[in-house]
Amino acid sequence: MKQIMFPFHRIGLANIGFVLILCTGQTMAEVVAVVSAESPVTALSRNQVVDIFLGRMSRFPGGEQAVPIDQEEDSAARDEFYARFAELSPAQVKAHWSKIIFTGRGLPPKTVSNSIEVKKAVVKNPNAIGYIERSLVDHSVKVLLTQ
Amino acid sequence: MSIRQTQKLRLRKLITITLVALGLQATAVHAEDTDTPMFSFGGFGTLGVVHSSEDKANYKSSVMVPTGAGYSHAWSAEVDSRIGAQVTANFSPYISAVVQVIAEQRYDNSYTPSVEWANLKYQFTPDFSIRVGRIVLPDFLVSDYRKLGYSNVWVRPPIEVYGLLPISSNDGVDASYRVHAGELTNTVQAMYGKSEVKLTNEGGVAQAKDAWAISDTVEYGHTTLHVNYHQTSLTVAAYKPLFDGFRQFGPEGIAIADKYDVANKRYRFITLGASYDPGNWFVMGEWGSTSIEAVIGKRSAWYASGGYRLGKFTPYLTYAQVKADSNTSDPGLNVAPAASLNAGLNALLGSIPVQKTISVGTRWDFMKNTDLKLQFDHIRLGAGMPGTLTELQPGFQLGGTVNVFSTTLDFVF
Repeated sequence: MKQIMFPFHRIGLANIGFVLILCTGQTMAEVVAVVSAESPVTALSRNQVVDIFLGRMSRFPGGEQAVPIDQEEDSAARDEFYARFAELSPAQVKAHWSKIIFTGRGLPPKTVSNSIEVKKAVVKNPNAIGYIERSLVDHSVKVLLTQ
Repeated sequence: MSIRQTQKLRLRKLITITLVALGLQATAVHAEDTDTPMFSFGGFGTLGVVHSSEDKANYKSSVMVPTGAGYSHAWSAEVDSRIGAQVTANFSPYISAVVQVIAEQRYDNSYTPSVEWANLKYQFTPDFSIRVGRIVLPDFLVSDYRKLGYSNVWVRPPIEVYGLLPISSNDGVDASYRVHAGELTNTVQAMYGKSEVKLTNEGGVAQAKDAWAISDTVEYGHTTLHVNYHQTSLTVAAYKPLFDGFRQFGPEGIAIADKYDVANKRYRFITLGASYDPGNWFVMGEWGSTSIEAVIGKRSAWYASGGYRLGKFTPYLTYAQVKADSNTSDPGLNVAPAASLNAGLNALLGSIPVQKTISVGTRWDFMKNTDLKLQFDHIRLGAGMPGTLTELQPGFQLGGTVNVFSTTLDFVF
């Protein structure tokens, strides 16, 4: 059941609403954060992954440059990633980037069309970080332990 | 050489040095980052209408425009509507430029597009950058996007606090330096420059010279803290005739003129803000205080706001207030011929905004890149004061209450 993997660390009307949306939406596969198998990075906090994707952090904690590979808007993996890791709706992510784009302070991460393309990009660049469905994980990528 | 010329020269020199440095870097670096497009284009806008229960005065979101909702229009589209377009050019991984043009109601009641920002940025490292040109002022939590309806929950930032600084950009230079410590990010921003804005009703210009500001922003998890200090030398030529009148009356008149005229007066502005936004709800608040010895008065204001995200709806509640920290009347000169001057002075002092507002509203993300907002404001004007209302008409009751209904459609493209 999808609810089980959703963290119930806060109780409130909003969470109930949120879970209802998850339940009524299409079935979503679990999404995990990945880096290249060659990357020295093994674990990041959930907030660190989110900070990298939202442009708040440009480096991994070890000092290496972090290159986030995002998926295109409206893709199920993308919506699931931001909902699960950041508890952000697609509109909130768009509003966040609008703030940054319309001040010239930055650009959103490069996007690719699907998880297969994310894997290709991550394998090509040891500094890259992406997210894919857990079912697509293979030896070429390393799943980040996110606590 | 005057101080002003020296400073002008210094600024010009700084810009020249920066441009030379940019030029050198440009030749040294190839456009290796092929993933980033050279030019990107974007736009945003808000279409809104506002109705006020008070038809003998205008409700506005800015004092920089001549008309609003209530007296000028029963339903006003001018309070919140605007459209903006932006071009960002990435010349290299280090050098970028941004030009943003906004069409909104202006001082002359036209919608002639004006340049909001136009600056060149040099990114020394991912965490250190310098910008030269027309740049956003960093005073508030949502300064960077106060005109970008889509990125805000409210119909408009609370006018009590954001009205303390009715201008949003500055011509000069700024530097931004970011430090990471674990999950904490600290950003220090410093700016120097000047700005000039045209006032309504042929009021000439307001000039801010030798403006400088320093701000610090701490982001830790879902928490953001922001503090800013801003200082400038302010001149509003429109007040000069009134105070020249006072100066005709000898030492007592000169003392009044020196106290209240806005001619190279030191203006200080300090703001504090905090927000907590874990995703499906938020709370935020800001406090600001201006300090100037002049007819525009010392003011302080704060707001607290919170909301819940229920799927596509975000209902919110805001309380805001602004008050005068200096006198809002003056006995003036105790001689009969000065009666009209005294009246003029007291009309200005009496228009320093004092009011309290409770706002309830909701944002509805009803389609991609577009939201619809409804907001209801209940405003209690300060006793015997007009609050932020302007263009007061005969029969207007000072110190009453006003209800304002607003709806906006915000979009980005």
